[in-house]
Amino acid sequence: MNEILLELESIPWGLIAPLVIIQLILLVVALVDCFRHNNTNGPQWVWVLVIVFGGIIGPIVYFIFGRRND
Amino acid sequence: MSLIITEQLTKTFNGTSAVDGLNLSIKEGICTALLGPNGAGKTTTLNMLTGLMNPTSGTITFDQRYRGDRRQFIGYLPQYPKFYGWMTGEEYVVYAGQLGGLSKIDATKKTEELLSLVGLDDSKKKRIAGYSGGMKQRLGIAQALVHSPKLIILDEPVSALDPIGRRDVLELMRKLKEKTSILFSTHVLHDAEEICDDIFIVKDGKVVIEGDLVELQRKYQKPTIYLETEESIEYWSHSIKNMDWLRHMQGTKNKLTITVNDIDVAREALLSNETLRKLKITNFEIAKTTLEDLFMEVTAG
Amino acid sequence: MNQWIILFNKEMKEAIRNFKWIWIPLVFILLGIIQPVTSYFLPDILKNFGGFPEGSMLEFPLPTGPQVLAETIGQFGQIGVLVIVLAFMGIVAGERNSGTNIMVLVKPVSYVAYIVSKWLHMSLLAISSFSIGFLLASYYTFQLIESVPISYVIKGAVVYSIWLLFVTTLVLFFSVLFKSNAGVAALTLGITIIISLMSSITPDLLRWSPGMIASHSHSIFQSGEAGEYFWLSISCTIVLIILMIILSIINFKNKETVTHTT
Ligand SMILES: Nc1ncnc2c1ncn2[C@@H]1O[C@H](COP(=O)(O)OP(=O)(O)OP(=O)(O)O)[C@@H](O)[C@H]1O
Ligand SMILES: [Mg+2]
Repeated sequence: MNEILLELESIPWGLIAPLVIIQLILLVVALVDCFRHNNTNGPQWVWVLVIVFGGIIGPIVYFIFGRRND
Repeated sequence: MSLIITEQLTKTFNGTSAVDGLNLSIKEGICTALLGPNGAGKTTTLNMLTGLMNPTSGTITFDQRYRGDRRQFIGYLPQYPKFYGWMTGEEYVVYAGQLGGLSKIDATKKTEELLSLVGLDDSKKKRIAGYSGGMKQRLGIAQALVHSPKLIILDEPVSALDPIGRRDVLELMRKLKEKTSILFSTHVLHDAEEICDDIFIVKDGKVVIEGDLVELQRKYQKPTIYLETEESIEYWSHSIKNMDWLRHMQGTKNKLTITVNDIDVAREALLSNETLRKLKITNFEIAKTTLEDLFMEVTAG
Repeated sequence: MNQWIILFNKEMKEAIRNFKWIWIPLVFILLGIIQPVTSYFLPDILKNFGGFPEGSMLEFPLPTGPQVLAETIGQFGQIGVLVIVLAFMGIVAGERNSGTNIMVLVKPVSYVAYIVSKWLHMSLLAISSFSIGFLLASYYTFQLIESVPISYVIKGAVVYSIWLLFVTTLVLFFSVLFKSNAGVAALTLGITIIISLMSSITPDLLRWSPGMIASHSHSIFQSGEAGEYFWLSISCTIVLIILMIILSIINFKNKETVTHTT
């Protein structure tokens, strides 16, 4: 138990945090875009699921395949 | 003085001619209509005039006084204009103006002016993706005018509009006519008659009738007799088919429209016809044909 | 010149409004951070979860700084390139298919400016995304692993940018030639993969090839010096880029803007 706590402490969280923040930005931007122009390829709710549950690549897949060009 | 002259302009798609040896001459300072039914080749012709399509054969000559790239002198509204939906109406017209050679300031000024002319003042800050068909049509006219071209080419500018929009746009074109030459296509003769000076009627890629509208109206006005009877007139109508005063005949069960060469001879012949009288004439009217009848005649056959 | 700026600004505005200028750099930043971080933790992870018997004497050394940078470039070369190709596969074909190019090209617009401004914008976005991603990758590598001389890092990155330009040019070239976005993407990716593979399998035959660029940048990270025949492959790549841009313009000019009227 102690060992794990030590391990956790040794992890440089300051360096990992940006990863989380970037993923959050991607998620929010994709969601905003998806809701703002409801002109997605296919049903909007599917894309919302993809964005939210698709992990890192969810928002990216949405940006590439989900937006209809206008 | 002609702005554009085409000689034997031809466009072939996989062996079939959409435009077939067209000789047009579009004069400066007037409004010219390209009139024809669906598939006559109007859009194809206009696309070649603007340089968007290459002719299969034939030549297009633009007025010698305007040298260089002829796109500078042409404003074009496609039949189905496609815009960048992410731009606002205002941004689009400014962009079009800048591409047409205006400075940012001039383009903005001109855009302001044009958008209020076409009645888009209220929605100019909205994204085009949210525009209705009629709004897009009017935006399309604004972008065609923004660089003050010598000639504006409008492909069916009113076909997609409701009656009010149609009247607005025709009214607008009447205003524009004062300053620019206009060439527009339509399949409705009435639109052409309302504003144009010259007319080319095309069918199957060929010009069938061309000339000054007023002259054509005079020339092709033929005396006509409208005939209505109580009993069916259909059978009897065959009996006059080969009369030499008859030009053209068309009718339903109880009505007949007869275009004739000599009104006096025809009237005499009809009124003295015993069989006809027995059918109980309810209406006998003498009038003149309009271009509409002619248009129907040449485009139907 | 003025028209170039107008067309370029339009590309820029469009890519800002559809968030390309946000998400593409973010993808490169993610890739740039993830690689050094995993390299740093990999020995720990292997030790703890690798299933090796307790007390076994296996050592998992940390990779060197240059190795991590090279691995990051490898990530950019796969996922980064994939993203750029997919994001821009419709760069020319898209406007053709939707017909939005008609009212633009009926204005007195130079075909050269139309094509080159698109290429410039796409390349700027690709290079900027790569630069910021690689900047962060270097920062993380320096913090977690070890420092590498800055001049090596910059030189290697500049060299690798030329490969990215080669990729964007391929996208442009195929997008002028073909209508189908999927076709453009498949061809571009296919060619980049084949060139890279062939160059690593038979480097002797393909000294001149753009596919050698990645390995040149690797050796720059190591020693500050590129491998043999460096200038050959760089100049060949640049010549190919210029040639493809010229061919794209010619093809674009020769194609009718409108091919059907409905
Ligand atoms: N790409 C093409 N391949 C084959 N045929 C074509 C092509 N483009 C147009 N056509 C044909 O050319 C003919 C002329 O078409 P065009 O669109 O010019 O007519 P139009 O007078 O503008 O008709 P409308 O009133 O319907 O707009 C039509 O028969 C059309 O089917
Ligand atoms: Mg048409």
